[in-house]
Formats: sequence, C-alpha cells, structure tokens
Amino acid sequence: MLPRFSSRKAKTKREAVTYLAELEQSVLLAGGTDLLVRMKRGEGHRYLIDISSIPELHLAVAEGSRILIGAATTHSQIGIDPLIRNSARSLAEAAAGIGSPQVRNMGTIGGNLANASPCAESIPPLLVHDARLTIESSRGERVEELEQFITGPYRTTLTGKEMLSTIRAARLEGYREGYRRVAKRAAWAVSRLGIAWAIKEAEDRFLDVRLAIGSCTPGPFRARNAEALLKGRRREREVVEEAVKLCLDGIRHMSGERPSFIYKLPVIRDLLRAILNNRL
Amino acid sequence: MNPIAFTLNGKVVTSEVEDHELLLDTLRERFGLKSVKEACSIGECGACTVLIDDEPHYACLTLATKVEGHDVKTVEYLGDKGKLHPLQESFIRHGAVQCGYCTPGMLLVAYNLLLKNRQPTEEQIREALSGNLCRCTGYIQIVEAIQDAPPLF
Repeated sequence: MLPRFSSRKAKTKREAVTYLAELEQSVLLAGGTDLLVRMKRGEGHRYLIDISSIPELHLAVAEGSRILIGAATTHSQIGIDPLIRNSARSLAEAAAGIGSPQVRNMGTIGGNLANASPCAESIPPLLVHDARLTIESSRGERVEELEQFITGPYRTTLTGKEMLSTIRAARLEGYREGYRRVAKRAAWAVSRLGIAWAIKEAEDRFLDVRLAIGSCTPGPFRARNAEALLKGRRREREVVEEAVKLCLDGIRHMSGERPSFIYKLPVIRDLLRAILNNRL
Repeated sequence: MNPIAFTLNGKVVTSEVEDHELLLDTLRERFGLKSVKEACSIGECGACTVLIDDEPHYACLTLATKVEGHDVKTVEYLGDKGKLHPLQESFIRHGAVQCGYCTPGMLLVAYNLLLKNRQPTEEQIREALSGNLCRCTGYIQIVEAIQDAPPLF
C-alpha cells in the first residue's frame, strides 16, 4: 500500500516547476519504478508532481553536435531510437538492458540520473558522451556537466525545487562503442559492474579513447588517466596493460579495498583488455 | 477525487480515482478485474502486468491518474470462459498454467510480443518474459506454449 498523498499532473515544464516551488514537501514522479517502491517502504511526500506526460520531456533530437534527450524519455524509447543507436550506441545498449521490459517501458533516463545509484546503467554511457544537463526551477535554469552533477552514491546537486529537464549528449561519429554489464541474472538484477566505451582509432593507433566504469566506485567515473595515456599511442600489449593498471589503481584509490574486488577487479581487467584490443 | 476516462479492454470507461490510487487497485476494486494480481508489489514479479497502449507495465507502480486518455488491456481483453484466445488455448495445451497466479501477466507479455514479432525465437520469448516470475512451471511450458501459438492475425 502507498501512503496517502496528493498528486498533480503537470502538462508543461513551466507548470511542473511552478508546482514544485509552490507545494511544500513535493517530489517529482516520472516512471515511478524507484520513487513508488521507496514510498511503499515508508518514504513520505505530501505532493507528487507527475511529469511523465509532459511532451517537452519526451524526445530525442539532433541539435548540432549533440543529441538532446528529454528527461522523461523511457529506457524503451532510448533503446530503439535510431539517432541514439547511431550516434550514442553505448547509451542505447545500456538502456535496452535495464531491468525488465516493464521497467524499461516505465523508467526514464532522467529518473535514472536523478536517483544517482552507483550502478545506474545510463550514467557510464552518458559520461562517455560528455553529457550536459539542464536543470530548471521557477527561478530559471542552470546547466551542469553530468560529471559534476553526481556528488556521491544517490546524491546529486539537485535541490528539492529543481527539475532535471534535458540531457545533451555529444554525438560521436567514427567511434566503435558499446556497453557491457555483468549481473547475477539478466532481468532485474542490479548491475554488478558496467563499462561504457567509445574508441576512435586509425592504423592500430588510439586517437581518442573514452572509458566509463559503473558500480565499482561511489559513483560511475571516467577513467581519464588511462584515456590520456592511450591517446596517440599504438595498440600494443604494454600500452594496454599500463592503461588497465591505471583504471584498476583508480578504482582502488576511490573505493579502498572492498571484499567484492576479489572478483570485480579481475573481471574489469579482462573486460578492459577485450575492449581495448577490439575483441568485444 | 479525480475523474478519469480511458479505454479499458476496448471500451471507453470513466471513473473517479484518488490522488494516491494505484492502477492495480482501480482495476481490481472499481472494475472488478481480479485477474490483475498483487504479489511482490514492488515491480519485480510481473503478476500485476497490464498493457498500456499495448506495452507491458506494472500496475502496482502506476498511478491510476496516469492512464487518463490511454488504452489499458487486461487478460479479459483476450478471451473469456466461453471463448478463449488461441494463445490461452496454447497455454492450456502445453500445461503452462499450474497455480495460475502468474498466468494473466504471462499471457499479456506474450500477446505484446506476438503483436510485434510473429515468429519470435526462444531467446526473444525469454527476454519478453523476463519481467514476470513463475514459481511452478520453470518457464519451459510457457515458452513452448508461446512458440506453438497460432499467429495473432
């Protein structure tokens, strides 16, 4: 059973942020797959503002060198969108593997980011695509890089009066890219680890490498040390091993030693080797 | 209370629903559709699955107000006691119904799959069923029933 609350269905972004500003103890409802579960377990809110039917928040369109994605776009929509499949393939792959078909039909990309679970599947691909977020309130809007937006496990810079409205992801052309997750079982299992990558190469030389790893650290992160090391280098065993080592050292540095690292780190090591050597 | 109008199993219906009312409760209590089951209540088991605009959703995590203007289908749409749907016949033929609790949800995700894909592979069937739990059959009979179902059109 859900606790009692009042609800408002916003028809526009403007209406949503106005409700948020005016109603005390209000919270935004998009897909409901996280919020309503938490509320059934006792989390209380006086007002729910349903933003799932706002047309402005349901879209994926090209905008210059970026793809503009509305925050209430569902994982199902993202998984099959031709533009995203072409220019942000890792995101489409990650979205198509989230939860179950029902969860993908309900859950939204904005909800995934705003909840900021360390294992949120959308985050590593969006980090690879340098995602920039637009956050709106009744007072105006601000723009923030996804990397800065997430401040810790389940923590973001969003205040209770703000709404994440739009995600702008860089289009990457001429890259090989993908997303790979490891989980106990396919459906519903929360990802044990996830890696998104986009790599541009010519004649066995790395021109640009982007790697983002989720579920190992308090928040998914871009392995920037390894990326910098690889830039311009030839794809050789020693180079790849050095980059893999930088990634693993980075994880240990951020998380300290964890019991799960006995299996997680070797799995990441092998995945990274396969990704960098173009075997995935 | 909020007045809502939506299409339920092919007919336009209206109702008054509470702000905090779940679609699950609306369908069971206001429309008497007890085929929509509540089991885990947190969107993991799929017993409450309904089709909204022909796509599977968990009714236990959907506010009733959300379906205003949309199309909702429960297993009653497929057939009734007098005339079962060929997909339901196939479930019976293959022994895919044991305790029956998961069956309405299973039938709806199977129906949704067959609407989009006339000849799904076993892998596609298992993927389509991945949001619905069955503790009796071990899924094998359900997969076979779907593979063996006659085309919907």
